Amino acid sequence: MFAWPIRPSARAGCNTVARPAFRRVGRPEEVGRPRLAHLDLDRALVEAAQADAARFEALYRKYLAQVYSYAYYELRDHHEAEDATERTFLAALTNLHRFEERARPADGDGASTFRVWLFQIARNVVAERRRSRRRRPEASLDEAATVADDLDIAAQVSGRAEATEARRAVSRLTGDRRRAVILRFVDEMSTAEIAGTLGRSEGAVRVLIHRALRSIARDLGEDGR
Amino acid sequence: MSAPGWRDRDEVDAMTTDRYLDALLSAHAVGAARTPASSSLDPVLRSVAERLSRDLPRLHPSFRFEEGLWLRLSEVARGIRAGAAAGTDQGLVPAGAIDDLAAFVGGPDHYADGAVTVRPLLVGGALTSAALSIAGAAYVAWRLSHPSAAPMARAIRAVSRTRLA
Repeated sequence: MFAWPIRPSARAGCNTVARPAFRRVGRPEEVGRPRLAHLDLDRALVEAAQADAARFEALYRKYLAQVYSYAYYELRDHHEAEDATERTFLAALTNLHRFEERARPADGDGASTFRVWLFQIARNVVAERRRSRRRRPEASLDEAATVADDLDIAAQVSGRAEATEARRAVSRLTGDRRRAVILRFVDEMSTAEIAGTLGRSEGAVRVLIHRALRSIARDLGEDGR
Repeated sequence: MSAPGWRDRDEVDAMTTDRYLDALLSAHAVGAARTPASSSLDPVLRSVAERLSRDLPRLHPSFRFEEGLWLRLSEVARGIRAGAAAGTDQGLVPAGAIDDLAAFVGGPDHYADGAVTVRPLLVGGALTSAALSIAGAAYVAWRLSHPSAAPMARAIRAVSRTRLA
């Protein structure tokens, strides 16, 4: 086994924004509450992959569906989601030596910030794709949404128009509200992990999701108004 | 009620929603049929949360894509391993589609929607505008100091002088 060559300068600043996800912030009554219940236990897998890149497979298989789902819900196109997934994992693998574990022993046995780091990459890849799509619009948004819905695997499985309506309501949310909802409901991330991924505080993420639910309720006509 | 009061209330409501989502998603994770009860959460929000947890399933790409991407990653991993054995820092990563991927590894602000790309356009526009203004001022100054010798221009100047006289 070889030792992975790590330059101190290359490590610094790679995932510095991941750490704030693990600060215990907020009201005094919530400080004592365990906030990292959903944190993945990836430390051993990451260390193995950093020592030998061929052992990246375990992390790849574990997170493939999560990254793909995030890309799919964001881009609403199967091919673009695959492309974004590919770029995310390639970026993660080729930059894994720059990843620095920022979870502390107090965060729990085996706690890891890898998923936060991976989703930061996915978020950047997807944002870049959405931007380039806006620069080169190939179809109107309504048209694109119709085409995407025809390919919507979940809608075909469930066969319910209701499901499509809900997904459309989510896609109409703005920026971080939409991302926070996808990460919370599809990827089942904790508030702490979403905060690390989006570079916001946990309190801000809670408010984002709360307001997003209100907005979806209005959109779906569930608020009775 | 004052603005800070409203903000506090919003945060408390958000906390209640967050706790309910924790319970709801945990129940889904273990396959519980019943949704958790929450007397304090707005029933409208509870209904929307339940609907989203049901209607936003996690998707899996095709098996073909999964295996194809793993083959590609294996190839890259072999390159990294060979590079490490040779003592290079980044490894012998195949060039091509992965040349600019390091740019994606960073904080969320790097690729915020609508950010970054607008700035060069604004700077370029300001520079162009300033350059045009300077060129225009220089042209007007030069033109005033160099009256045209064309017959029509001479005639206009003559009429103008006559009127002033």
